Amino acid sequence: MKRLQNNKIELLSNYLKKNGLNPELFPEILDHLACEAEERLWDGDSFEHAFSNIVETADPETLHILSVEHNHLLAMEKTLNDIVFENRNKLYGAYQLRKGYNKTMQRSVLMGVTFFLLIMLLPNLYARLVPEPKKDDIGFEADLITVDIKPETNTPPPVEPVKPVQKVSTVKYDHYEVLPDHMVPEETSPPTIEDLQNALPGQENSEGNSDILTIEPPKAEAPAGKGVNVGLESPKETELFAVEQAPEFMGGNAAMGEFLRKNLRYPSQAASAGVQGRVFISFVVGADGKIENVQTLKGIGFGCDEEAERVIKLMPKWKAGRQSGIPVRVRFNLPVVFQME
Amino acid sequence: MDTNTTSNEYVRGTLKTIVLNLLAEQKRMYGYEITQEVKERTGGAIALTFGALYPVLHKLEQDGFLVTESVEVDGRLRKYYSLTTPGSEAARIKTDDLERFVDAIRLLLAPKSMATE
Repeated sequence: MKRLQNNKIELLSNYLKKNGLNPELFPEILDHLACEAEERLWDGDSFEHAFSNIVETADPETLHILSVEHNHLLAMEKTLNDIVFENRNKLYGAYQLRKGYNKTMQRSVLMGVTFFLLIMLLPNLYARLVPEPKKDDIGFEADLITVDIKPETNTPPPVEPVKPVQKVSTVKYDHYEVLPDHMVPEETSPPTIEDLQNALPGQENSEGNSDILTIEPPKAEAPAGKGVNVGLESPKETELFAVEQAPEFMGGNAAMGEFLRKNLRYPSQAASAGVQGRVFISFVVGADGKIENVQTLKGIGFGCDEEAERVIKLMPKWKAGRQSGIPVRVRFNLPVVFQME
Repeated sequence: MDTNTTSNEYVRGTLKTIVLNLLAEQKRMYGYEITQEVKERTGGAIALTFGALYPVLHKLEQDGFLVTESVEVDGRLRKYYSLTTPGSEAARIKTDDLERFVDAIRLLLAPKSMATE
């Protein structure tokens, strides 16, 4: 098949354009006419003849009708919006809004109804999900208390209050060297009996802070007393004798000595009878530090036992003994010394 | 010219069927090809003018019976038409209808003696 030269096609397209053919139809009709022209050229016609033939079949009226019919066809699909916006700026936005109006409306109605129903049915739904409490249900209320749990490893072991080192008054008790007279120091003379009444012989003269002769409990710290107390165990089994941290009078042994000295009265009976000695008192230091179960293990009579018990009962709360860090009940033995001045 | 107009009068009613039928056979055709095919098969008895053909093609396309694809051939855009599934269904029905109609017409046009015989 002969191909039409471009200028001939140009001729055809100009003819179609001149007759106002719908641009949408243009390529198709052009192709049709071009094919027809090619066919005629193939048959041996001259182009001019073929062209006039084509113009005859595709006369302006036919083309016009074609365009009009095409428009009618399109018009059937056109909506009101298309007609309203026919010659207006569709990109402005109003066209899009109008086009999407139905969809938007549908969606919003659906959402609105759903939302409304949800709101309306919410109490019902809630009632279904959360059963009403029955009258015979028992409710428990618990208050949450935040507890600071510090890891055990971080807490330094409870520092035992540094006990004042019990210093016993000493009196210098030198041994004397045999020296020539002029070398013997003047002031050194052996201590008298009176000096040693309340002190021990030592390297030098020093003032102690402990009265060895008055009420001085034996070392309360457990391991030492263990052996002694084995036979004296109280009937209560929960009471311990040896604990990691022995109970202690608040303020230490010195404070306890002070307390006893302050409160102990020498019973007149004993005083008149000239009774002296030690009263062994056993008591229990509770987990809360309270003194309980005070009893005399071995007394000296003449009201001294009762007096010792009374003063022990007077004692303020102790620092409780601890086993693995837990306060426990500890039985404690304390000798109270009654000595005539 | 005279015969052409008379044939046009009948062609207008059957044009849709003719087009659908042709497309059912050929799968893919363009406008000019259809006119040529009709002309060849009928020996020029039926000549489709493009003024009649294209509105029909466009209408069928809009109805969803045809789909088009544009292919560039020799520097020109050529629009090929082919049947859709509902299109082939419509083609079958319309062809059947037309055949029955033609049979009926034939009976009508036949001399009465023949019909009674």
